[in-house]
Amino acid sequence: MARRTEVLVSGFGGQGVVRIGQTLSTAAVYQGLHTTMLVSHGTETRGGYVRTQVVMSPENIDSPVVENPAYFVALSKAAYHRFIDLVKVGTVIYDPAYVEPDQSRPIKQVPLAARDTAVQELGRELYANAVVLGAMARMMAGLVDKENILKAMLERIPRFHAENKKAFELGYALVAKE
Amino acid sequence: MRRTLDTGNAAITEGAILAGCSLFAGYPITPATEIAENMSRRLPQVGGYYVQAEDELTALHICIGGSLGGLKTMTATSGPGFILYADPLGWALGSEIPLVVVNAQRVGPVSGITGAPGQGEFYMSRYPTQGGNYETIVLAPNSVQEAFSITVEAFYLAERFRMPVIILADQLVTDGWESLSIPETPAELEAMRLKVIPRRVKEGPEFYPCTDAIDIPPVVLGHNTGAACSDWTPTPEGYDTEEVDFQHQHAYRLIYKVRNNKDLITRYESYFMDDNPELILVAYGSPSRVVVSAVKQAREKGWKVGALRLISLWPFPDEIFKVPAKYLSVELNYDGQLVREVQRAMPAGSEVHFFGKCGELPTVAELEELMQALLAGKGIKARNWEWEAW
Repeated sequence: MARRTEVLVSGFGGQGVVRIGQTLSTAAVYQGLHTTMLVSHGTETRGGYVRTQVVMSPENIDSPVVENPAYFVALSKAAYHRFIDLVKVGTVIYDPAYVEPDQSRPIKQVPLAARDTAVQELGRELYANAVVLGAMARMMAGLVDKENILKAMLERIPRFHAENKKAFELGYALVAKE
Repeated sequence: MRRTLDTGNAAITEGAILAGCSLFAGYPITPATEIAENMSRRLPQVGGYYVQAEDELTALHICIGGSLGGLKTMTATSGPGFILYADPLGWALGSEIPLVVVNAQRVGPVSGITGAPGQGEFYMSRYPTQGGNYETIVLAPNSVQEAFSITVEAFYLAERFRMPVIILADQLVTDGWESLSIPETPAELEAMRLKVIPRRVKEGPEFYPCTDAIDIPPVVLGHNTGAACSDWTPTPEGYDTEEVDFQHQHAYRLIYKVRNNKDLITRYESYFMDDNPELILVAYGSPSRVVVSAVKQAREKGWKVGALRLISLWPFPDEIFKVPAKYLSVELNYDGQLVREVQRAMPAGSEVHFFGKCGELPTVAELEELMQALLAGKGIKARNWEWEAW
């Protein structure tokens, strides 16, 4: 893999932003990689902004700061606008339920209907983060194995494994259609 | 070796357990709460004790009591709790009571911002109590893995120097998640160059000898002793005294056991220091990781830069500032603390600059811009009040 891969995930509290970051970082450990994950959020957990910065590398990681993300997952309008300038060559993955992308930017921006898929297929928005993780597993193929991401997700999410697994596979399939 | 993904708080907990800590007393505070949480779960598993104190003042006094009873003890807090340690830390320093204090620095002053990193207690960790006549030992990890190893080391130094050792971490180290390897066998511990020594017990009649020697076992009350232990100046036998000669002897010991054995404490990393750096970046804790990235990238472009990453902060490693150059101190505060020591320690012909940020790390891009300006002989200006709109 590349020397260093950066992933930025941001949205508002309650969307599972931290869980997504933890899962990707845990999967990186299973993959035998070095990894760091920083979490920043406002005082209130629900409704406030949340950001996780994940770095993975086969080598020792110095700076844990994401400055040039290979993947930017934007789950809120505010998050998109706050961090979109960081994406120079990476891919933006956004949820169209919350984000209207700036199409004038010369970067790859992939819509991922995580919220609507979770609500329509599983009846709860709660599973949107598992949809995102499935999509990430597809997009990060070659960097981190799908099995490692799935294993890490089921470890990090204590309950509703059947539903989360289904959401994960739905997300995996959604991006495959791109 | 157990490989996992965990936080600095979890790493500190596991380091303490491995080092033989058997009493933790604390009062929860972000971003160190998880240490208390983890300790409350782990200590009963190893036959230890966990105490949730009514405040930080009591917490550290409980640790002192535990240590005088023969246990290895630890407490953990953040800046707003660290100030309440002032009284018991004086006891621990003055009466030579080994224990470990963790401060996960956040944004200050006062309660400041909870879930964001700061570096405001650099000097406070040098002078954490009143009265002077002492040195402190302060260690600053910059990663989850190092938070683990430094905790083991802090207990080791606390026993050898017979004094409290302060771990000055920051929110990104304690709350940050990172791959962590935990040794599970003596051989793996050895391979990580970590040492654990059990609590020893000082035999009388001389409990506070006037010497700079280390490896004098700590006083454990009731063990083969009639030794008293109080907040007053002790005679060598451990009794209260008002004699200035005894006070002078005692102060000599508190200061020179550290100063004269500094080589056992001082730890740092240097980058490109033997390759004629014109500009040297200095940092500790989490900002040092961005500094190292920035300096490595700048070297790839041929820029004459270097970096010093401090791992032990106090006693301050004056002797590593040998190269006359431009120095840039990168810190998580706006007032500039480490920079003052750099200015004092740097050799003649050097100049010093400061870049501060608080609540979040600097970026490689920011540091690159600063390095470029300084190498070109231009000044830099503080401009971080220009926050971008959310």
